Amino acid sequence: MIPTLPATTLSTQRKSALTKLSGHRLLASPAGLAGTVWLAAMIIASLTAPWWMPFKTEDQDFTAVLSGPTAAHWLGTDELGRDILSRIFASAAETLGTSFITVMVGVGLGTLMALAAANSQRAEGVISRVTEIMMSLPGTVIILAVIGAVGTNIPLIMGILGVLISAGIYRVMLGQAKSLQNQLYVDAAKVDGLNPLAISVRHVLPGLSTTIVVQSALIFAVGLLIQAGLAFIGFGPPLPQPSWGGMIQSASQHVYDAPWLMVPTGVVLALTVLSANAIGNALGKAPNATASHLPSAAIRRKRATQAAAAAAAAPIVQNPPVAGQLSVRGLSVGVDGGTPLVTDVSFDVEPGTVLGLVGESGCGKTMTALSLMGLLPSGVAVTGGQILWNGKNLAAATDKDMEAVRGRDIALISQEPMRALDPMFTVGYQLTSAIRRLRSFGRAAARAEALDLLEKVGIVDAPRILKTYPHQISGGMAQRVAIALALSGKPRLLVADEPTTALDVTVQAEILSLLRSLVKDTGMSVVMVTHDLGVVADICDQVAVMYAGQVVENGATDSILDDPRHPYTLALLAADPHANSAHDMPERLATIKGQVPQPKDWPSGCRFAARCQFAGSACEVPVPLLPSGSGEGRVRCVKADELAMEGLAWVATDVPVVNPVPAEVPARHRLDIIEKDMA
Amino acid sequence: MAMFITKRLLMALATVLVVAVLAFLLVHAMPGSPGAVSLGAGASQDAIDQLNQTLGWNDPLLVQFFRWLGDAAQGNFGNSLIDGRSITTDLANRLPVTASLAAGATILSAVFGIVLGVTAAVRGGLLDQLIGGFVGLLVALPAFWIGVIFVYLFAVQSSVFPATGYVPFDVSPQDWAMSLALPVITLAVGGAAFIARQTRASMLEALQQEHIRTLRATATPTWKILYVHALRYASLPIVAGIALQFIGLFGGSVIAEQLFAMPGLGQAVQTSVSTHDAPAVQGVVVIATVVVVAVNLVLELATKFLDPKLRAS
Repeated sequence: MIPTLPATTLSTQRKSALTKLSGHRLLASPAGLAGTVWLAAMIIASLTAPWWMPFKTEDQDFTAVLSGPTAAHWLGTDELGRDILSRIFASAAETLGTSFITVMVGVGLGTLMALAAANSQRAEGVISRVTEIMMSLPGTVIILAVIGAVGTNIPLIMGILGVLISAGIYRVMLGQAKSLQNQLYVDAAKVDGLNPLAISVRHVLPGLSTTIVVQSALIFAVGLLIQAGLAFIGFGPPLPQPSWGGMIQSASQHVYDAPWLMVPTGVVLALTVLSANAIGNALGKAPNATASHLPSAAIRRKRATQAAAAAAAAPIVQNPPVAGQLSVRGLSVGVDGGTPLVTDVSFDVEPGTVLGLVGESGCGKTMTALSLMGLLPSGVAVTGGQILWNGKNLAAATDKDMEAVRGRDIALISQEPMRALDPMFTVGYQLTSAIRRLRSFGRAAARAEALDLLEKVGIVDAPRILKTYPHQISGGMAQRVAIALALSGKPRLLVADEPTTALDVTVQAEILSLLRSLVKDTGMSVVMVTHDLGVVADICDQVAVMYAGQVVENGATDSILDDPRHPYTLALLAADPHANSAHDMPERLATIKGQVPQPKDWPSGCRFAARCQFAGSACEVPVPLLPSGSGEGRVRCVKADELAMEGLAWVATDVPVVNPVPAEVPARHRLDIIEKDMA
Repeated sequence: MAMFITKRLLMALATVLVVAVLAFLLVHAMPGSPGAVSLGAGASQDAIDQLNQTLGWNDPLLVQFFRWLGDAAQGNFGNSLIDGRSITTDLANRLPVTASLAAGATILSAVFGIVLGVTAAVRGGLLDQLIGGFVGLLVALPAFWIGVIFVYLFAVQSSVFPATGYVPFDVSPQDWAMSLALPVITLAVGGAAFIARQTRASMLEALQQEHIRTLRATATPTWKILYVHALRYASLPIVAGIALQFIGLFGGSVIAEQLFAMPGLGQAVQTSVSTHDAPAVQGVVVIATVVVVAVNLVLELATKFLDPKLRAS
């Protein structure tokens, strides 16, 4: 078996290179492919035109003046009986070639300016000013004035057009060039003493290559159109030399008696422009666009049908519904393509209690939380299981049904308060319109309630805050506003998605104590998503530890923190500097080697096995969630009993360091290093 | 904000000055002296030299420039070399034609572009793809070709609109509108496609913002999220796109004016360039720049006013 291993790796590599080529964005998009084919055909046909053209451009066939397509003249003839097909292709090479001059000058100059601007702030100031001026010029008028001065020298005109266009290219490239320039490896190269030019060429330019190609294709199309337009108004190549714009111009003179003449040249020009655009668009399509928070109507319709089907398929199994109780049963969430993100998650939240969903990033905590409100981003959906709330299955509810639940029954607080508030509206508007909507209050009553809510969340100068825009207040203040907004509909359940992660440590504590007192005062329950075990210890009654889309251990907070049964929980606790009290702080905090696996890489057996210190062959089969013996808790580990019996702990392994601390280093120095590790 | 406006005004002034210098230099690079252009072929060299002397053509370039700039600043662009008309009067007559064209085309393309773009972003699915394909086609069709087709369809085949010509507003508002219809629509096709793309992209970006989720979490009705909150967020890049479009359409009117025989600035550029009428070219370049820069300035201030962050500062 072993000898075949390298061969397989090699063949997969080859295959991936092949799929990469065939899956190349240009060839993967039908429009991009068609555009490439057409443009290639045009270039070949125009370059070889002298050898295959059925007629010379000036051959006049007086027996067939203004004729439509015939066997002799496939695309018809013009008013002098000249063959349209021959004239289109006789002028194609020059048209395409001179448009390429615009591309070279425009994209070249634009890129150079972007590189220079990314390199130095001073250059950016000057170039940005100059390009701003260039962009606010009436380009066509300037080009015509240039023609007045230099005559209809097409290559020169197209070059000057490129100069005018370069300002727009610079605008497109600047942001990207700057972000490339600010990459750490560019800084490193700078420290290494590489000169700015070499940095630009070696590190920044390659990153711009896709944009350069995309812009080239788009500018090529612009060049074609403008060149044809100039020829149309009489500033084309000197007569009788044919040009596309000139041919359309003479066709337009005969639109009364020979409308057909408009078709061939127009179609060839339009298809060529279309092809260049299609290539640019296919290459420029962002591969991973961020998911929309409000799926399009088409997706919402699809979801509604799915929801109806799910509701019909799975009758609710909950016995008498308990008001304010949330029961999640076997919940699965997945990408529309089929990749699961969350599988078979179950938990209950009793009224007035706080459940913590804990785990590293990428474990499906946020997806689980958002599914409770039906607010999964577009492209992600509940694929199975039930979310029971007041006897209703929210997993199968339509968006319309959810609108009655959101805000009034279940409310949301997000991780980044600044981004959670609408930057275009005042705090007051956002708060009062939510109150009016959710509580059917009048304008004045809503304002009074808004002030009341702001005071309740600990804001002292509420009237002033109402008038501010979100960018005018601090992060902690914004989170208080966001909490007030969440409370505006008097919800029974609050879904809090890492509400303190983005805040300063002191503000974190304030927000947590605010949440704790709100739970006590209002009797609402909370689903708290966090990766911070300190937050769990502080506020949660129940905990569900999630790993790779599964609940691996759940139970009361005390029993989970004091008597964890799953190796992942053990590891999280061992790795948390706050969970270890000061006196028994280990010399080196434990780490969990590796990373949370990507959903597509989840094994069929225990998903934590690859990173687990205790994993064995028994871990290769699917593991059920079973009673753990620690309180009411349940655990998903075949070795849980064994581990509990032997009282094993997650041990801090030596971090593999490249330069190990030499033995003769004094103890004091060693301590410094440890402190640094913990920081 | 006052600081911002002052800075923008200075920039606008600088732009016009740069163009003035550019126009002056370009015109001086034109083949033929003004005397030769004015007197036409067959004039004696003596007569040409004498006229050049009178026109100040032999003065140092700087002297000529400041004389021209001084006159231009007072609204006097001199007289045409071809027929001796006052260029200022001529341009004053032509400006309303081009302004109506460009403004009409900008408004029309903004309305259709925004409707198409928002629809594509909001409806999604097949409709999005159809609109995308349609818009892609419109972008690729040259305005002059579309214009001829429109003439064929609406003036030749069905004579709904006049094929060519321009009727001033004060002569007959109704005929004015009819005479503008085809050129405005011709210009607006490409503009609408451009704005539709800009709008769709901006709307989709707006819908990716996290505050949209907050709005949904507080049971904001979908129409309000889309047409109040998302559109408001998207309005900044859309208005910026419209400003760019106006610049393009103002220049693009050269083609529409040629095609529909409209006596506008574009036609003036085209004829004065063909006839080497230097002062006329200078005048029209400067006037076109002033208009474009001014409209651009207004739209830019509007964009900034839409942004609470800038308005507050």
